[in-house]
Amino acid sequence: MSIEVSGVSKQFGAFTALQDISLTVPSGELVALLGPSGCGKTTLLRIIAGLESPDRGEILFNGENAHDDVRERQVGFVFQHYALFRHMTVFDNVAFGLTVRPRKERPSKGAIRERVHELLKLIQLEGIADRYPAQLSGGQRQRVALARALAVEPKVLLLDEPFGALDAKVRIELRRWLRRLHDEIHVTSVFVTHDQEEALEVADRIVVMNKGKVEQQGTPDEVYSRPASPFVYSFLGTVNMFHARPQAGQTASTEHHSVGYARPHEIDVSRQDPGNGAIAVTVSRVLPLGAIVRLELARVDTGGLMEAEIPREKHEELWFTTGEQVYVSPKNLVVFVEDYQI
Amino acid sequence: MSITKSAHNRVLPGFGLTLGYTIFYLSVIVLIPLSALFFKTATLSWGDFVATVISPRVIASFRLTFGAAIAAAVANAVFGTLVAWVLVRYRFPGKKLADALVDLPFALPTAVAGITLATVYSSNGWLGKYLEPLGIKVAFTPLGITVAMVFIGLPFVVRTVQPVLEELEPELEEAAACLGANRWQTIRRVLLPSITPAVITGFALAFARGVGEYGSIIFIAGNMPMKSEITPLLIITKLEQYDYAGATAIASVMLVISFVMLLVINILQKWSRRYAA
Repeated sequence: MSIEVSGVSKQFGAFTALQDISLTVPSGELVALLGPSGCGKTTLLRIIAGLESPDRGEILFNGENAHDDVRERQVGFVFQHYALFRHMTVFDNVAFGLTVRPRKERPSKGAIRERVHELLKLIQLEGIADRYPAQLSGGQRQRVALARALAVEPKVLLLDEPFGALDAKVRIELRRWLRRLHDEIHVTSVFVTHDQEEALEVADRIVVMNKGKVEQQGTPDEVYSRPASPFVYSFLGTVNMFHARPQAGQTASTEHHSVGYARPHEIDVSRQDPGNGAIAVTVSRVLPLGAIVRLELARVDTGGLMEAEIPREKHEELWFTTGEQVYVSPKNLVVFVEDYQI
Repeated sequence: MSITKSAHNRVLPGFGLTLGYTIFYLSVIVLIPLSALFFKTATLSWGDFVATVISPRVIASFRLTFGAAIAAAVANAVFGTLVAWVLVRYRFPGKKLADALVDLPFALPTAVAGITLATVYSSNGWLGKYLEPLGIKVAFTPLGITVAMVFIGLPFVVRTVQPVLEELEPELEEAAACLGANRWQTIRRVLLPSITPAVITGFALAFARGVGEYGSIIFIAGNMPMKSEITPLLIITKLEQYDYAGATAIASVMLVISFVMLLVINILQKWSRRYAA
């Protein structure tokens, strides 16, 4: 079931949450809505779910208008804080969507039991059907919430910061598990996150949002290596900025200002000045981080901070030390011309 | 032994002190006066005791007091929950005022409440004059007693349910809706079970208050023996006749019934919260 968002805008009082958003989620894909908090990603997800209605624009499922009523829309929604029914056992939570169906459509007790156990097996929590949510860990609760959402065989699965309330280790485990699960069941899924690493690891496609607008959409590789805007560049990982200064003989433009962007691993570091306009810097810290070594650098001319990442072998060969002066040059500089802002 | 041992392992000191204080306080305030009641009762012979507490007039008063208190507590559980819901979920002009109004029965002297209710519901009162032609007599009947108990018990249910409702996340309702539950199913299967423990607590408090209420009821009850005479009044009557042992006998039976009922309610309450780890 594909999802199409077409021209959706949403206003909360004077605050514009979403501004003319259009995007397509192809059937069976797992898409991440990525952006800083307050960028409108959760609002967009809630509008897709039908929990919020857009001021303008529409949501299409498989090319047809999605039902206005959230009950009829057949979406599975997973909340950041699980929203499990505390007074029900895990079994009853998962079975809820089936037991509230009108009597004619409701599966038999036996069929419900079978379906719930099938789902508990899927989330690897078969032994805990009789427990209450309060007796589970955060990771288990979120898996139960997922099973509950899947029980009704939703057309699309929507997850709102599903790992946001979990600690770092569980989060990583659970997102890998979600990826494997998605490869198994292939339900069209959209998840919201502010964690770029999570988006890059889990999603088939990433939609980067900022201030109620889509900045870029594409595969993780596309958005990481070919960012469409300075925002995407700086949001997806660390980046070094090179401000172009007007050279002698050139006219300084007052309205436009061009900035070059290069990621830390795209910086060449050498002891000798290669003579191609390399920048002189001093090494302020050397951080060996496993396979790579991160160098924190300070520009000699402006004092501005930079970061470079070099492979460990290169570091072992050259052995940079704190305080020494070296030369850096970007291997791959992407330049954006932006409106001059103070 | 194990208590003192584990007490030593606590991070915060003061277990011994606070437990000691709790026992001392409960003894002075509750236990000693109540045991005095039973000691006084014990001055009666078993035969006299039984004769006192099963006399028709006493039995009628028990039936009236507990029956009216239960009816009032049920009414409060239903409508108090409704009031709490409205106060939590909706915004309307005068909401703060309505919220403050709920506490008024706590603050009002019970005699004032009794006189007011009696006046309003008497056959020529503001409300009584419209009810009387319909054949509903409130003042000076058991119904009036129930009305007075509803009045004084209202804040208990509202104030116990309100904070629980405030803490219910809206996500629960959204989750239920996404799963296809209609409004009624969401209320019955998600919201009500979540607030049931609080409603039961409020019910127990309102019931206990109703059983012990005296001041407001005697003005509206009419106090006719066998018909509209509540147990506390009967106790006062005995006291006025210097029948102290008789008064304490009735009081002890009342106390035991109340205690058993509150115990049952507490067990029910615990059961309704069985899901909390």
